[in-house]
Amino acid sequence: MAVSVRKPDMRRRTIAGLLFRVGTYLALLLVVGPALWVLIGVVVRAVPHWQWSVLTTPTKGTTGGLENAIIGTLILMFGVLIIAGSTGVMAGIYLSELAKPRRNGKPSGGLFRTASDVLSGFPSIVLGYCGYVALVVGLGWGFSLLPALIILSIMVVPYIAKSTESALRQVPNNYREGAAALGMSKGYSLRKVVLRSAIPGIVTGLLLALAIACGETAPLIYTASFTDAIPSASLIHSQGFAYLTYPVFTFYNQPAPEAHYLAYDAALLLVIIVLILLVSSRLIVARTQRHSESQGR
Amino acid sequence: MTDERGPDSINASRVQPERLEPLDPVLQALDPDRGRPEDVVCSQRLTLSFGPKTILSDVDISFRRGTITALIGPTGSGKSTFLRTINRMNDKVVGFRRAGDVTFDEQSIWSTHHDVLTLRRRIGMLFQRPNPFPMSIRDNVVAGVKAHRIAKGKQLDVVAEQRLREVGLWDAVKDRLGDSPFRLSGGQQQLLCLARALAVGPEVLLLDEPTSALDPVSTEYIEALLATLVPALTLIIVTHNLAQARRVSHQTMFFYEGALIEHGDTEELFTHPKQADTERYVSGRMG
Ligand SMILES: Nc1ncnc2c1ncn2[C@@H]1O[C@H](COP(=O)(O)OP(=O)(O)O)[C@@H](O)[C@H]1O
Ligand SMILES: [Mg+2]
Repeated sequence: MAVSVRKPDMRRRTIAGLLFRVGTYLALLLVVGPALWVLIGVVVRAVPHWQWSVLTTPTKGTTGGLENAIIGTLILMFGVLIIAGSTGVMAGIYLSELAKPRRNGKPSGGLFRTASDVLSGFPSIVLGYCGYVALVVGLGWGFSLLPALIILSIMVVPYIAKSTESALRQVPNNYREGAAALGMSKGYSLRKVVLRSAIPGIVTGLLLALAIACGETAPLIYTASFTDAIPSASLIHSQGFAYLTYPVFTFYNQPAPEAHYLAYDAALLLVIIVLILLVSSRLIVARTQRHSESQGR
Repeated sequence: MTDERGPDSINASRVQPERLEPLDPVLQALDPDRGRPEDVVCSQRLTLSFGPKTILSDVDISFRRGTITALIGPTGSGKSTFLRTINRMNDKVVGFRRAGDVTFDEQSIWSTHHDVLTLRRRIGMLFQRPNPFPMSIRDNVVAGVKAHRIAKGKQLDVVAEQRLREVGLWDAVKDRLGDSPFRLSGGQQQLLCLARALAVGPEVLLLDEPTSALDPVSTEYIEALLATLVPALTLIIVTHNLAQARRVSHQTMFFYEGALIEHGDTEELFTHPKQADTERYVSGRMG
């Protein structure tokens, strides 16, 4: 674009412009700095004491390994991906593509939108407590996988729905028109043409949801509690369910250094899981966007 | 940039400007369209509006099978609205209302005789901005073919090649059928969209300013290509370019201020317009 007018501009650049520039760099530092600090901090503290047996032994009180917690977190993530992923993506599709616009041309689905905004503004610990009262005690399920999954899913569905909706709204309308003009049905054009270019946004939403699913503690303490047992096949009545954030949160307060080591090991594993999530989502996006408009230019 | 080169030069033997000459009786006997109604698409007292605003009123017009009709008129005169009504693209637009009727094959396009998806397969459309889908070049050509289950498997490759050849794009893309269509030049993208539209075997093609976003070379190429599509197809083309309307079309319709002011044979309309507004418009003294 208008690159050619740069030279005369350089001289006239004001203090305000300079301050703005410094401000943006500072903001960047504020984001990148802590991320690096956390990453390095966790690695430096976890790696020197790292033992591979952590992966193959379950916790025993505040000692042992993290096998039960690793398996538990992976199950939670998978469950959230299935339950919240399908619900959220479908809700997003409904909001963007299917809900009939109102007469005044404004988008509909206002009730859902309000509900999901309220929901995503809820402190997670309150949701966890609701899960405790309604599911763990109320329905008598006890601390177990299902109440934890339900509460986590309720927490993340709004994110997934919102990111799916906005990703779909950014899909150029001329794809939809082109598909309709060829005689494709709405559902067919959605599946074969429209969703394809919304994938980056949808994957980002799912990624955020999964990161929350593996990184939350408060709602899980209320719904899953914790147990040294390896997760079983039972959805309810399992007398507790293990996950990685529990050792991070509680073992750190223990006097024994072994407990501290486990806390750092758990933190390192969480960081690794999140990094794997990031990389795989990038790969998915790259793979599905080979033919996208932005790639081609 | 090699990508920016125009479409391959057109195969002159395929351009048949003589086709509109009256057919002699023998040829007429061989004509597959013999006995089919002369008019493919007709509008009857068609009035179109968005909310309280009437865009066009009382349009009565027929489109003759196998001809090219140009729709001309100033911006906002309702050309696109009229065109998009014919393949029912306006049906779902908020506030769209219509009175009167449009018939295709002598049946109202809104009657149960026509299913909207089949109607759109039979009445194709090309847009102002090339709009290839975000999939490979080959998949673009056969997107509609797959949707309508016209062909499958290996046949799809045959269809893709045939249609790309038909629009003269084959040699330019045959080595990169799996590539993104967005690396093609604008003209090539529009040809790809044309190949995609032709692949589902339409009888009528609606074109909404198909060359106004393209360079002169591509424009000339597409104009020549359109001439080869008749009389197999019936083309209805909206254009801002008066010279283009005069070059490519057999009939011309002039829209102005919410009405169809005048229509007739293109040459006649341009040289001896009956209405003062038409005269002003075609002589370039309006908008
Ligand atoms: N979806 C719509 N809603 C409301 N008004 C519209 C819509 N589409 C077009 N119009 C109006 O209809 C009129 C005719 O538009 P259009 O058919 O696009 O004209 P043309 O193609 O001749 O330039 C314009 O005044 C335009 O503002
Ligand atoms: Mg228009």
